[in-house]
Parts: sequence; C-alpha cells; structure tokens
Amino acid sequence: MTKKYVMLADTTRCINCKACVVACRAEWDTPIGHTRDWVKEVEFVEEGKPQVMLFPGRCQHCDDSPCVEACPSGAAYKREDGIVLLDHDICSGCELCVGTCPYEARWLNPESNTISKCTFCQPRVDEGLEPACVNTCVGRALIFGDMNDPDSEVSRLLKEKEWQQLVTDEVSVGPNHYYYTAGQSIPDEVKPKVPERHLAGKTMEIINPIGAIGIAGMALAFLGAGVMKFIGRRNEVSTSENKEEK
Amino acid sequence: MSDTNTPRMILVREKKSVYMHWFNAGIRLLLLLTGFGIISGELVRIVPAFWPEFMQGLFGGNDNLILTHSVLAMIWIVVFVLFILFNLTNIVLPFLKNVLVLTPSAAIRDVKSMIINLFQLFGLMKEVQIPPQGRYNGAQRLLGTMIIFCSFALAFSGLYLFFGPQFLNFSENSLYGAIFRWALVAHITSVFLVLTGIVAHVYFAIVEEPECLEAMKSGYIDVEFLKHHNKLWYEELKQEGKV
Repeated sequence: MTKKYVMLADTTRCINCKACVVACRAEWDTPIGHTRDWVKEVEFVEEGKPQVMLFPGRCQHCDDSPCVEACPSGAAYKREDGIVLLDHDICSGCELCVGTCPYEARWLNPESNTISKCTFCQPRVDEGLEPACVNTCVGRALIFGDMNDPDSEVSRLLKEKEWQQLVTDEVSVGPNHYYYTAGQSIPDEVKPKVPERHLAGKTMEIINPIGAIGIAGMALAFLGAGVMKFIGRRNEVSTSENKEEK
Repeated sequence: MSDTNTPRMILVREKKSVYMHWFNAGIRLLLLLTGFGIISGELVRIVPAFWPEFMQGLFGGNDNLILTHSVLAMIWIVVFVLFILFNLTNIVLPFLKNVLVLTPSAAIRDVKSMIINLFQLFGLMKEVQIPPQGRYNGAQRLLGTMIIFCSFALAFSGLYLFFGPQFLNFSENSLYGAIFRWALVAHITSVFLVLTGIVAHVYFAIVEEPECLEAMKSGYIDVEFLKHHNKLWYEELKQEGKV
C-alpha cells in the first residue's frame, strides 16, 4: 500500500523548548531570520487563570495544496506519499505560491532565491530516519509516520486520541498535520488564513478561461464557416449538374 | 497563343520572406507545444493536465522542457533580429508601412471591413461592398499589427522569465518578483491573442483564399485574384508596370 506520511503534534507535551526549530535550522542551514518550523504560543485566560497553548507548526503537506496549484512551473509538487516538495532547479522564486499557503509556511530564501518550506525532512525519511524536529523533540510532542501502516505509532495514536486539524469552514485543504489539545478548541490565532493571491495570479485566473473560450469560440466559428462553405459549394455543383442534364 | 485557363501569375514575395514565414510558423508551433507543457499549476495551467505531464515526461523533466523552450525562443529572436537587420529597407519597412494599424481612424476603417468580411462568411451582409483594399486587407492588417506587438511582448517577457531568476536577486527587491509575475501574465495573454488570430489566418489561407497560401509557398499570386481582393494594390502594380 502507498505510504501516507503525517505529523502529529501533542500540544499537551510541548514545552516550547524550540529544540525542533534549532534541529530544523541546523539540518537545513536556513538563513538568519528564517525558519521552516516554529512554535506558536497562544495565551488566554480561563476561569480567571492565565493559560498558554503551544502549537508546533510547519508546512501541513495538504492533500489539496494551494501552493502546488499556484505554481506555474510545477516546481511545487506533491509526492505519492503525501510529502509536498519543491524542485529548486525550476523554482523561479516568483512567490506566486507564498500567499496561497493558509499556514504561511513558504518563504523566499535570500540565499538560494527559491522558495523554502518544511519537507518533512524528505531525504532523511527516504533513508528510513525521522524528520530532524521529531528526532530531537525532548517531550515526544512530535510524532511522524505512515498513517496507512496500521502498525505504525501514528496509526495507533490517531485511534487512541482525539486529534484535530487546522481547518475552518472556509479553509479546508486537507492538512496532514494533526494536533492533540486534550479537548481544547483550536484558537483563532493558529487557524488557517484565507489564501491570498497576487494580483498577477488573480489576473491569470481570469485570463486563462477567457483565452481558452476565445480560441475555442474562434475555432468553432470558423469550423461553422467552413461547413457552410462546403454545403454552398455542393449545392452549386449539383445545381450546375442539373442544368447540364436538362 | 496563351492558354486562357492558365492563371496569370506574378511574383509578389521574395523567397527569403517565404522561408521566414514558414520558419516563424514552425518555430512558433514548437514554442506553443513546449510552452503549454511547462505551465503546470492547476490555477495557472492553460491546457488539460495530461499535456504538461506528457511533455515533461518526454523531455525528462520540466527543467529540460523549459531549457528547450527557451533555446527555441532565442533561436527565433536571433533569426528575426538578423532578418530585420539585413532586410530593413527592402522588406521590413515596406511590410510595416503596409500592415501596421496605428491610428484610431485606420483601426475603425479596418475593423469595419473585417466585420463585413466575417459576416459575409456566414451569408450575412452580402449586399455590403468592402472598400477596395491594398496589399493587406483590414483583417490582415489588424492581425498583423496584433502579432507584431504580441511578438515583442512574448520576446521581452520570455527573456525576463528565463534570465530574470538567473541574474537577479529576487529576495533583494520585491519588484523583481512582481515583474516576473506580470511578465508571465503578458506572455500568456500574448499567446492567447496570437492563437485567436491564427485560427482565422489558417482558415482563410486554407479555405477562403488558397491563392494566398500559394503565394506564401511559391511567392507567386494570381493576378485575377489580386484584381478582385486587393484592388488598390493591383492599381499600384499596374502603375508600376508590373502587371
């Protein structure tokens, strides 16, 4: 069976040590000021007591990835096992994908001039290792694995606990990142934002169907003209043949 | 004694113009096939998904396909620039003078004659006379003007799309990325406009005016056809003693 990789984040076990962020930055040598993963703190008051929730975040490797749909060159793509990757050889750094990510997981790398994002540490995964962040997580808040394997830890945990995805009624693109919050609802601060598109991207969304309809319309119109011409010519020939017979 | 059934033909196009036309047509077709294969994302893709998949598979990846498309485009640009440089006064400038529609009044005149022409294809406006036309009729002039402007847009936007990411630091200035995105819009829009016009161009060449297709193959055209379709040009040629 095809693998389907997912990441689980148990927010009740996260201690905000940011070891995952450090491990990721070390693994991928990200430039100063940029990171592929993060931990978002959400503070609130419950029954008069201050509370904090911790949400480790990264690319959610969505099933209906808006970034893949927006990429003009196919540099952004989704592997069969669910990992959303980027072909740096063809990424132009045009950033058409950046605004479309509801989790703000994509950014233009100033060193490579291509887009960077979490890849679930795909080279490590292909070698049978865990992603760097999972490997280093001291509280075992992050768990990674194949949800199609019934014996995997993620399959077991997904059955045992009630996990939530970062989705809303408006934005539901099939993220493959699950969160356990011990029954707490997902705070608005970490919910996905409505994908934004550059004006150029929106323009293409309008131009493409108009262009396709225009070309198809022209082709149909001239096909019709050709058929009319053919019928007219056939009538002319049969009329002249009738005259000759008479 | 001359055979009255044999059409009287005159040379109206030099061989190099004929070769240039077919080179242009052939390379544009290849650019179209490869270009449609490059654009992959669902929201920006122009053709059904199977085509980019097929082309990228055929070329062993989109990077190879992009390179092929770009090399073909650069060959197209270089050949055109050389052709223009070596034939500026004898072919290019006279062609531009005949074909470019640059004033509103010329555009209105040509649009009118094009509309009559198109309506007559469907048996409408049969009684309306199209004003006498020169070397190129209204529709041809409008199409020619559009193709010339779109070709410049295609060439410049294409050069930026290929070389921009290689030589400019997109993270340094957000304008570079914005220009890239709008260059993509200009590139795609130009392709659509040219394609729309080409449908009519091919139809007229094959169905309505095969004499024009013949002229684009041999360089010769039937004088009777000229007299009927391009009266002003015929008069011009007559004055010059060429017919």
